[in-house]
Amino acid sequence: MSAVTEVLQQVVEGVGSGAVYASLALALVLIHRFTGIVNFAQGELAMISTYVAWQLVASGMPFWLALPVTLAVSFAGGMLIERLVIRPVQAAPELTTVIVTVGLFIFVNAMAGLIWSFTVKDFPQQFPDGGIDLAGVRVDWSTLGIIAVVAVVMGLLYLLFQHTSIGLMMRAVACNPASARLSGIRVGRVLMLGWGLAATVGAVSGVLVAPVLFLEPNMMGGVLIYAFAAATLGGFDSPVGAVVGGLLVGVAETLAGAYVDVIGADLKVGVPLVIILAVLLVRPQGLFGRAAVERA
Amino acid sequence: MSMNVATLGTDRARRLRAALTALLAVAAVVGAPFYFAPFQVFQLTMVLLYAVALAGLNLLVGFGGQISLGHGAFFAAGAYTAAVMLDRYDTGHLATLPVAAAGCFLLGLGFGVPALRLRGLYLALVTLSFAVFLPPLLKRLEPVTGGSMGLTVDKLQPPAWSGLAEDQWMYFVVLAVATVALLLARNLLRSRVGRALLAVRDNESAAEVMGVRLSLHKTLAFAWSAMFAGVAGCVYTWVIGFVSPDSFSFVLSITLLAGLVVGGLASLYGPLLGAAFVMYVPSVAQDISEAAPGVVFGLLIIAVMFVAPTGLAGLAGRVRGVITPLLTRTKPSAAVRTPESEPPSAPPAPAETAPADAEPVGAPPRTEKE
Amino acid sequence: MSEKPTTDDTEAGASTEAGRTPAEPDFLKVSDLHAGYGQARVLQGLDFTVARGEVCAVLGPNGAGKTTTLRALCGMVRGRGSVTLNGTELLGRSPEQAARLGVAHVPEGRGTFNDLTVEENLRIGAHLHTGHWRRGRAQRAAVAADLERIYGYFPKLRDRSRQAAGSLSGGEQQMLAIGRALMLRPSLLLLDEPSLGLAPLVTRELFEIVRAVNEEERTTVVVVEQNAQLALDVAHRAHVLEAGRLVLSGPAAQIREDGQVAEVYLGVSVRAGTGG
Repeated sequence: MSAVTEVLQQVVEGVGSGAVYASLALALVLIHRFTGIVNFAQGELAMISTYVAWQLVASGMPFWLALPVTLAVSFAGGMLIERLVIRPVQAAPELTTVIVTVGLFIFVNAMAGLIWSFTVKDFPQQFPDGGIDLAGVRVDWSTLGIIAVVAVVMGLLYLLFQHTSIGLMMRAVACNPASARLSGIRVGRVLMLGWGLAATVGAVSGVLVAPVLFLEPNMMGGVLIYAFAAATLGGFDSPVGAVVGGLLVGVAETLAGAYVDVIGADLKVGVPLVIILAVLLVRPQGLFGRAAVERA
Repeated sequence: MSMNVATLGTDRARRLRAALTALLAVAAVVGAPFYFAPFQVFQLTMVLLYAVALAGLNLLVGFGGQISLGHGAFFAAGAYTAAVMLDRYDTGHLATLPVAAAGCFLLGLGFGVPALRLRGLYLALVTLSFAVFLPPLLKRLEPVTGGSMGLTVDKLQPPAWSGLAEDQWMYFVVLAVATVALLLARNLLRSRVGRALLAVRDNESAAEVMGVRLSLHKTLAFAWSAMFAGVAGCVYTWVIGFVSPDSFSFVLSITLLAGLVVGGLASLYGPLLGAAFVMYVPSVAQDISEAAPGVVFGLLIIAVMFVAPTGLAGLAGRVRGVITPLLTRTKPSAAVRTPESEPPSAPPAPAETAPADAEPVGAPPRTEKE
Repeated sequence: MSEKPTTDDTEAGASTEAGRTPAEPDFLKVSDLHAGYGQARVLQGLDFTVARGEVCAVLGPNGAGKTTTLRALCGMVRGRGSVTLNGTELLGRSPEQAARLGVAHVPEGRGTFNDLTVEENLRIGAHLHTGHWRRGRAQRAAVAADLERIYGYFPKLRDRSRQAAGSLSGGEQQMLAIGRALMLRPSLLLLDEPSLGLAPLVTRELFEIVRAVNEEERTTVVVVEQNAQLALDVAHRAHVLEAGRLVLSGPAAQIREDGQVAEVYLGVSVRAGTGG
């Protein structure tokens, strides 16, 4: 194998894991755009969605049926959390909302442990073994599958936001809630929708990553850090940035793990820290973000 | 006037009561290690130690309005500084304290400079990432840190002249460190830095207009706060005599924040109450299930933010605020024999004229104009 | 999902009404309106009415409570007393409910959706009349007709329909904000300081459009303005506020002619400027 194909091989794997980060980062960015909140519990919500999927499959439901059910449950759960947990502190200072999402993080994590215990569960891999060979670079079906699923989710979101009336309203609320209200848009419901959507997109990342990481309550902790790095890199206000950022972080992580001896497999989790610090120093608004980073 | 005499009298009584309370408190604190069993003394020692870390976190979160999700990492840095110094260089315990403190202060500055140039949110991200990154890093630096096996070092030993048992001596040493740390935290808040911090927290843009150098003060607050965590970690090594990467997973960071929030943000007693929480809730709840502490902490944090953003410490004040008027209202019937005493206290003042409460951290912003 | 706007039938009624004499003098009825922010009580008992199809100017010095009045009407500020629109109580409703009752408020500082294109901004205004997910052919046609109507008033917006609202000039943004409000097919249009920060020429153009809208659609308009002279040119009636109280009401022409009133309460010499 030549050096070039070897690098390409790593890039392909990076894109595979990057797609998962992109998905969770997209969930973070969605909520941030709608509510100005950074949801530290996003990864845990994805984790618990994954448990729902696992439970459904374990009780005999075929995976491809369990998936839409899981996404629907996640959507409803996200809406419920917005209404019950976030709405009461929506107007409070950022510190309060951050602490509330951290509380949610702890609570959801512990509840998963309470219900499903902390022992690792094997999540079935849905994509067939093997793969294809592209000019010497081997692409596993599972990698392709992950990329395809994330691409479909992005495509659906794009259609929703750009080509439906409800998507237009959601963008209006994200842009200027006060004016949206004056135009008769029920902002509260739109915010619930936004949280529901974010939970759904996050759930996709959880279900995709579970076969690789094994399912346990702390599964998404690491992924969340990568997703934060992705959102910071892409810009917390930019869905496109979240996707691009996710892929870049995935590739950077894989390359660093493979080629930088000091890092190796065990210290890869330092890559997001370095990326976040570097972005903050060099281009704090992120690649696709606007200059204004302060919450309006 | 009899009323003046009465107030003078109550004033003196109040001062006397305060002095008595303080005396009793000191007696209780000093007497505790002689009364309780060694294990309980050890637990109290841990409470004091966590209180140091929480006092630092409180500077940042409660007074600075910034959030750190990685204080466990600074705690770990302090603990490892002490352990490595004791293990490799045999420096003696006392020498490790200033090094751990200074090291964590500098570490805090290092992360604060990029993280605090912008909104405080990024500090949460950076500290969280750091807290997740530190345990694998400690494992990697095996030659120095002992890897996943950790390091075992000498605990603090009582000098012969003291005649104290190990647990008692450690208790008093940590008590001394905690007292100094809490006083230092208080004085920091009363200094120019502290006043600037409060100004920043309460109204960032106004503070900036007034010439407070925002990012400088926020960064300094973060560095101080990291230093407190480092000191707590250093003392942790003295007390436990063992460090390992898994003792400092980012769960510790989250637990510290949870303890502080429940104990009470921006309150001087909050860290002590919170430290008791950090120490006792997991050990009690763990008997029920492994997940129980998390459920309790998670629910408590959200509940505290909803109903009492000032935490337990603030809640006590608020309960007093609710109960005292009730008591004074019932007083006149009991105090019929002193006709000159104050007339029955007026009904609660209408909302418009009531003095505004000290703004809790979580109060919604008042941005309405005109 | 979509609520039938209450304005549909009332608009039909408006078209049968003839001439300047108001058929419904109490179309908007404000009685003993109190409102404020927190401890600051800004409005201390306002009473006035606006007839259907009228343009009503609310004038007064800074801090008199003009903006607060508008905000109380549209639910942005809580008020006490009573405000009825065509017999329906408006107080105690949220801004979104008020909008659904036919109140379109163009806030101070315009409040356009800067990330959205001009046309998307306008389409936001149409959502009350269409479904959220799919629009039938009839509804699409109705929205297209509404858009045409708005572009008719504001030809500049048509030229910039694909541009982001944030890239427009101040005057164009104000036009867009009014256009979006008109897309709601309001029965009551509230304009808060439309001239703020705009060049005099642009302001005049804007007020001419407001006049045209009022004449063609018989939309009832309440406009708050610092520039009394301009507002009085367009308005039928005017109310002058001072320190949260109504100090003067009357036909706009009369207030305009009464130079003393203008100087005392409005601090401007109006007569000098009534050339155009």
